[in-house]
Amino acid sequence: MIWRIAKKEFLLNVMTFKFAVGTILCVVLMAVFMPVLVNDYHQRLKDYNTNVSATQAVLQKAKVYDTILLGWNHFVYRPPALLSIFNKAIAHHVGDSVNIRIYQVPELSAGSKEINPYISILPTLDISLIFKIIISVLALLIASDVISTEREQGTLKLMLSAGVARYQILSGKLLAGWMTLFLPVTIAFITGLLIWQLSPMIDLRGADWARIVALYLASLLFISVMYHFGLFASCMTKRSSTSLLLTLFFWMFFIIIVPNVSLHLATFMRPLEPEEVTDQLLRDMRERQRKESRELENQMPRKGEVIDIDEGMGRFYVICDREAIECQRKRNALLEPLKIKHVAQRWEVQHVKIENLFKQKQVATLFSRISPISLYGDVTSALAGTDASSCQDFIKAAREYRQEVLDYVRSKTDNFSLPILFTPFAAIDTNILKQYNDPNTDSEKIQKWKELKIAQAKPINLDDFPPFTWKPDVTTAIIQIIPSLSAFVIINMVLFVLSFVAFMRYDVR
Amino acid sequence: MLFKIIRKEILQNLVSLRFTFSLLLIVLLFATSGFVFVAGYRTQSDNYWEKTNNNLSGFRDQADELYKLAFHNHEIWRKPNPLTFCVGGHEKSLPNCFGTDTFHSVWWVKGRHNFLLRQFGDLDWVFIISLPLSFLALFFTYDSICGERDAGTLRLILSRPIPRHKVLLGKYIGAMITIGLPLCVGLLVNLIIVISSGVIEPHPDVWFKLAAIILLSILYLSIFVLLGIFISSRTAYPTNSMVVLLLIWVGLVILIPCLGRAVSDVFYKAPSDAVWTRRYSDMLDQLDREAKAGKFGKNALGYHNDPNHPSVNPPAVARYWNAFSDGVMQQREDGHNQRVAQALAGRRFAYLSPTVIYQKASEAIAGTGLHRCRSLWEQINRYRNQLKQYILSQDVEDPNSLHLLFCLDDLVKNWNAISKQPVDFDTVPKFRERDWTLGESVQLAIWDIGLLVLFNLGFFAASWVSFMTYDVR
Repeated sequence: MIWRIAKKEFLLNVMTFKFAVGTILCVVLMAVFMPVLVNDYHQRLKDYNTNVSATQAVLQKAKVYDTILLGWNHFVYRPPALLSIFNKAIAHHVGDSVNIRIYQVPELSAGSKEINPYISILPTLDISLIFKIIISVLALLIASDVISTEREQGTLKLMLSAGVARYQILSGKLLAGWMTLFLPVTIAFITGLLIWQLSPMIDLRGADWARIVALYLASLLFISVMYHFGLFASCMTKRSSTSLLLTLFFWMFFIIIVPNVSLHLATFMRPLEPEEVTDQLLRDMRERQRKESRELENQMPRKGEVIDIDEGMGRFYVICDREAIECQRKRNALLEPLKIKHVAQRWEVQHVKIENLFKQKQVATLFSRISPISLYGDVTSALAGTDASSCQDFIKAAREYRQEVLDYVRSKTDNFSLPILFTPFAAIDTNILKQYNDPNTDSEKIQKWKELKIAQAKPINLDDFPPFTWKPDVTTAIIQIIPSLSAFVIINMVLFVLSFVAFMRYDVR
Repeated sequence: MLFKIIRKEILQNLVSLRFTFSLLLIVLLFATSGFVFVAGYRTQSDNYWEKTNNNLSGFRDQADELYKLAFHNHEIWRKPNPLTFCVGGHEKSLPNCFGTDTFHSVWWVKGRHNFLLRQFGDLDWVFIISLPLSFLALFFTYDSICGERDAGTLRLILSRPIPRHKVLLGKYIGAMITIGLPLCVGLLVNLIIVISSGVIEPHPDVWFKLAAIILLSILYLSIFVLLGIFISSRTAYPTNSMVVLLLIWVGLVILIPCLGRAVSDVFYKAPSDAVWTRRYSDMLDQLDREAKAGKFGKNALGYHNDPNHPSVNPPAVARYWNAFSDGVMQQREDGHNQRVAQALAGRRFAYLSPTVIYQKASEAIAGTGLHRCRSLWEQINRYRNQLKQYILSQDVEDPNSLHLLFCLDDLVKNWNAISKQPVDFDTVPKFRERDWTLGESVQLAIWDIGLLVLFNLGFFAASWVSFMTYDVR
């Protein structure tokens, strides 16, 4: 009996105007959005590839290890997430490059210059919008007149008089709803994937397929929640127009009001410290550190003759006599580890600031979970690898990489004590250096001599330089979304029980 | 008779469930918006004045020697606009802090904004009116014609000697008044909260602007009311009408602005930071080459504290560094302009949607948003040149100075390149952000207002024609 009701309902649903419009719109929007988004992704990928190759060229010319430590233009980049097409979330708002250098521990940043702040006047576009808006509305529209319309038309009375149990009717309608909504979700996914496969440069690997399957399942669960919601409203009201308005009203509440108000509530309930407080803390700290390093420096004054060479592109080094090399060697061995320690101390302060941002975000997320649409957004962003934790994961990898680079330089320079850290030249006679340092010497002669020297210096061997590799991890993403998915299942069940109770007591007259 | 129809429409709407829900929701939203604004604005305003005064007193300290004025780093913050409670204009995400001396200026997005929170919309009048209220406007009109046809009452009305246009007009005015009620109550609640808290001073100009924004809002809502009537008179059943209206609403209010963003991202994308860094180093390389080739004169790259030292040539050094400053500023200007151009291109595309037009027009009237930030950046750059001209003009009077202004403060100081005599601080130009006058605002918004009126007329004509030919059976 349940099956028969389900079949009848399914056929009725599929032949309605709203179903046709909704499904066609899904396909059309997919066809319009997808090329635009894929193009955007391509552009990001292209930028990423140019950036990565540009970085490699930077280090190739290094002649001393200091160049690596200073890390001028040495960036590592977060590869654009393939599934950002589905949900962009905050990935584009967070900086996607990290400078690897001794003076800075990588930390999550706003990437304020990398993205264009002015563009925030327009909302972002991604595929999850199709599900959040079109298909969820379709689910509500289909569900909202499931019971009340039959009552209005009088067919409910007929059915009940034919000896069909109420639970059978409800289960049949539920099954029909699932079958009906399964169609647009599947069609939307297939259309999207087809367009995707047609475009070059995108190859989906196993992990990506796992993500896509998880996204598909999450979308089905979400749509089912929306359907249950409409069903419940329909069981609670006598007239179909009332239930329609009620569900749409709540839909608007969920999609527009909850996400916005929750952000304001979070900033209100968990205000952030003004930036100046952290800045001041950092300034004080820097002042203390400067004093500390100055004390250490004063113990070892510079000695000997030195000529600076600046080759441009962040490549500085010196030509020294024996005494200066010896002195600089000792200074470095003492000062570089201190520098690393100081930077780590400053990072801790910055890190606390970022943690506070995360706490505020958690509050906002907590509030926004009133709305299943926000919950769905969280799930899809986690699966797409565009949420805050994925970005943080990248930063963590970059932090480890920086440590690796520092360790590399440390091992190559015997704990920062070899001259190759700062000069590619052996000691040069003091008298020659004095002559070149003399202001009365012809500047062109000095220039020519320097250029000759630069040409003589050979780049350091970086064959065993550690490469940066980072791949977003699919298992963590899936583990991360399990609570939200269970929440979907629970909401589904609760709403079904509620609809069941409401329908049991429904007045069919 | 018209009056009777209007009265009937209003009464019918007032007793409905949807009206109660709408009223509650809208009033609640307006109240929340008021509280959020009041809580934030006072600290914002205090912070602004504190920072501005700090900057000014720092600047005043430099007045004892003329050359120091050129190297003072101004930190200029965007003035909090009292009208942000009606039109936030996404200012939270826009540049709010600008640094400038006489050579370079930069912009930052600073403050307490948490970048981890996605798309931080404003909870302001424009948000409430452009999204939830426009949606509710459809609620009141989706069944205005076809609902009555379905119930058979349309035939009854038309069987009496009432011309159809009166019925249409009655329905339109009735719906406008119904939707206007929650709006008015909400606005009143919001205004009472904001004004009684005393954070803004009720200036006559502010009242005019508020009135203009309210008028604009009514114009905007009227589009959706007319759209509702139009679709209602094209369809036979209320559910169909709702489905179509929903789709149109989603398209106009949500999808088109999103698509505008996508279009601008794809076709007008401003280069990323990495590209700018590369261009910067290219520029430095080129300058270096030019300097070595003698474009700026001999020894342009020299650096020595004594201007008479043979390794330096002061005028050439000044020329080189001024070329450097100009190059840097040119790049920053280009970067800024390209970013603005990208956003504007997206918005121009999104002009198909009345929501975007309404948002832009109200931003123009309130003096917030993108145009305001752009104008602030331009004002700061103008000020930079003004200050430079002032310093140069004062410097002419000092015979001991070399009359060379460039961006290396050590050299300018040691060479006496710019006079070290004290100046009267009152005569020094100071930066003050200029607000738009009502006239300027209206001028900026006039086309948008025209477009909104056009939308209204279009939908009115369409619903007129549809209703005239509507089959009431």
